[in-house]
Amino acid sequence: MKKLIFILVLCCSSFHAGAAESKLEQIQLETDLPAVERGADALMNACHTCHSLKYITYRDLVKFGMDKKKVSDWRGDQPLDTALTSQLSDETAIQSYGIVPPDLSLIAKAREGGPSYVYSYLIGYYITPEGMTGNHVFPETRMPDMMGMSGATDPVQRAELQAKARDIVSFLAWAADPHEEERHKLGYYVIGYLLVLTAMLFVVKNQIWSRLK
Amino acid sequence: MAESDTLGDTDRRNFLIKVTSVVGGAGAAAACIPFVASMNPSSDVLAKATTEADLSGIPEDGVHTVAWQGKPIFIFHRTQEEIKAMEASDGGLDPEPDKKRVIHPEWLVVVGICTHLGCVPNKEGPGWTCHCHGSQYDDSGRVTRGPAPKNLAVPPYRFIAADKILIGEA
Amino acid sequence: MKSRVIKWIDQRFPFSSFVKHDLTEYPTPRNLSYWWNFGFLAGFVLVLQVATGIFLAMHYKADVTLSFDSIQHIMRDVNFGWLLRYMHSTGASAFFLVIYIHMARTLYYGSYRAPRELMWWTGQGLLLLLMATAFMGYLLPWGQMSFWGATVITNLFRATPFFGDQVVVWLRGDFGVGDATLTRFFALHYLLPFLIIGGVLVHLVALHTVKSSNPSGIDLAAKDNIPFHPYFTIKDFYGLGIFLIVYCIFVFFLPNSLMEPANNIPANPMQTPTHIVPEWYFLPFYAILRSVPNLVGGVVAMGLSVMVFSFMPYLDRSRIPGGAHYRPWYRVMFYLFVVDMLVLGYVGYIPPTDQSIMIGKIATIFYFAQFVLLPFISRKEEQWLIRCGLPPEVETLIASEAKEKNKLPHQRRIGDIK
Repeated sequence: MKKLIFILVLCCSSFHAGAAESKLEQIQLETDLPAVERGADALMNACHTCHSLKYITYRDLVKFGMDKKKVSDWRGDQPLDTALTSQLSDETAIQSYGIVPPDLSLIAKAREGGPSYVYSYLIGYYITPEGMTGNHVFPETRMPDMMGMSGATDPVQRAELQAKARDIVSFLAWAADPHEEERHKLGYYVIGYLLVLTAMLFVVKNQIWSRLK
Repeated sequence: MAESDTLGDTDRRNFLIKVTSVVGGAGAAAACIPFVASMNPSSDVLAKATTEADLSGIPEDGVHTVAWQGKPIFIFHRTQEEIKAMEASDGGLDPEPDKKRVIHPEWLVVVGICTHLGCVPNKEGPGWTCHCHGSQYDDSGRVTRGPAPKNLAVPPYRFIAADKILIGEA
Repeated sequence: MKSRVIKWIDQRFPFSSFVKHDLTEYPTPRNLSYWWNFGFLAGFVLVLQVATGIFLAMHYKADVTLSFDSIQHIMRDVNFGWLLRYMHSTGASAFFLVIYIHMARTLYYGSYRAPRELMWWTGQGLLLLLMATAFMGYLLPWGQMSFWGATVITNLFRATPFFGDQVVVWLRGDFGVGDATLTRFFALHYLLPFLIIGGVLVHLVALHTVKSSNPSGIDLAAKDNIPFHPYFTIKDFYGLGIFLIVYCIFVFFLPNSLMEPANNIPANPMQTPTHIVPEWYFLPFYAILRSVPNLVGGVVAMGLSVMVFSFMPYLDRSRIPGGAHYRPWYRVMFYLFVVDMLVLGYVGYIPPTDQSIMIGKIATIFYFAQFVLLPFISRKEEQWLIRCGLPPEVETLIASEAKEKNKLPHQRRIGDIK
């Protein structure tokens, strides 16, 4: 039985691994508060003008533990329960870019490859031989290179931008699954309890079955 | 099948079964918690547990109704005469001094739900009248005619600015 | 006090005799292996799915403008909503895993043979209900995969003779999958589990009439049967513990590995995702659908691939007991069939290429060929086994069980096993 489950798990995971784009840069996510907060800061400056996060409210940011003063700077005079909607109207967006920029609440879960996809996309900008900006991960993208990755040639500058992209991804990963930390924490307790209970059941089972002989 | 167990073995076995049952039962009970908890107000509902109300737009002798936790809250800007009249009496059926019902005497804040069976009373003349069963309240929200048994409730609130109150937190 | 209450009930309802007949003294073969745990596990997952489903339905909204948001509301705002939803979505996969193992056990040990045909057929009906329930439930989050999955599958009914197009529109209540479709899928997704519960009761009544099969495949005499309680209650609970550990690893640590990323994008009827795939439990059948280069042919092949299991009691002509256990040829066929299923599953997952379509076609032909050839192979195998002689332990077992059965009925009661 265990072998079968193992094989199945293996199949599932290999399916997913096989389908994910091999050219993605795998990143190790930082999920701690400072990283997420830095990411929020970067995102509010670089992305939030055009992209909304309609499932996240300013109250969620405060509840997660972000600096209250920063959050009130971002929200201005809007109530705490306002969602992070963008300032760009759909009509203007279509006029300038041809599409409505996607909502980012779930973006870290909505692409094959997840956070690694978003990170690789953000740092995937380059200058084509024709002098245009291209993107390795998503060539048809209509988003301009907001972080200036394509123009950055200096390794120090590139490293800085990569760190910034990593922070943004940290924030987006939190936004896509705000209960992840709580889930993992509870998971350790539940599985620990189940291991103890199953061990006890195993002993009881052996004792009861030893009556037959 | 041969019963080969000695008495000691049986005791130990029964003890183990009991302990396992208790551990398993505790787990099953704990597993019910998320199900029960999911029926409590969700975080977006709880976020509406407090309401901010702006008093600057309410004229003297005017009443504004705001929603707090889905209930109507009457905010009544009382005139000096009304304040004097109310401070002079202790109300009717459920005596209570006016001072205990307000923070600043010119602002009366009460839950606009008749204490009889839950209708919303109307502002008529001095005080409120509930049209469901004819209860009457004075300008302090105190019941002056039954069948309502109690005065209109005063919600927890506090002034967060000179002309702004936060209802839901004392 | 307790005995008086039970007595009061017993005069009005056969409570004690039910417990005695179907639990404390229900005779169960003592040689059942852990493969016999999966029926109980399926029942447990059914209860789990119904419970989490009812609590999710308290927060879900079946409306195209609201359903995606209401799922996010559950995931973010509802207390433990994320847990209930991940339990339900992981539970769907767990249900199929457990049922597939349950079916594989039945096939391996030949438990579908007389007198258990009705168990096999009620089980087949339950599988269809389960598939329908899972399919309809998958539309409810109203993501891109939900929408396009429902579109593709409802379109299969275009293969209906004469009225194809009308049937599709009737099923959807709209010209495409829309609000009417979502609302009716929700209604049916809530209804079908209760039909499944009814079907399970029939399945269990049949079981308690014919009793459990066992790995030897020989109908055991009383001496080798033991009461269900406490021996199999504790064994089932131990198995449940193992199952829950695996299940919880997925619920708490890998819940998104069982979901398609594209389903986190709200349904958009104007744009199909580049790579649409069904959930893993439908992949082999989906591969069969894709392997036939004709709409009607593909639909018929897919329907047949699920329904063909029903014929097993007639296709398997061998009377050798123990299923694959004592039958080397059948055992080879069984393992080849499992491998074939995995191949089909993989072909169903990857985007179609010339090569994968070719592999899919071969695997599909192989799938059906096994069923077609089974009557001849099983008959030949039986003749071969009788000629070479069965393994000696089987001969002894058959002889000893036959001898036991000649005893007088009162000597064969369960109580005598002490």
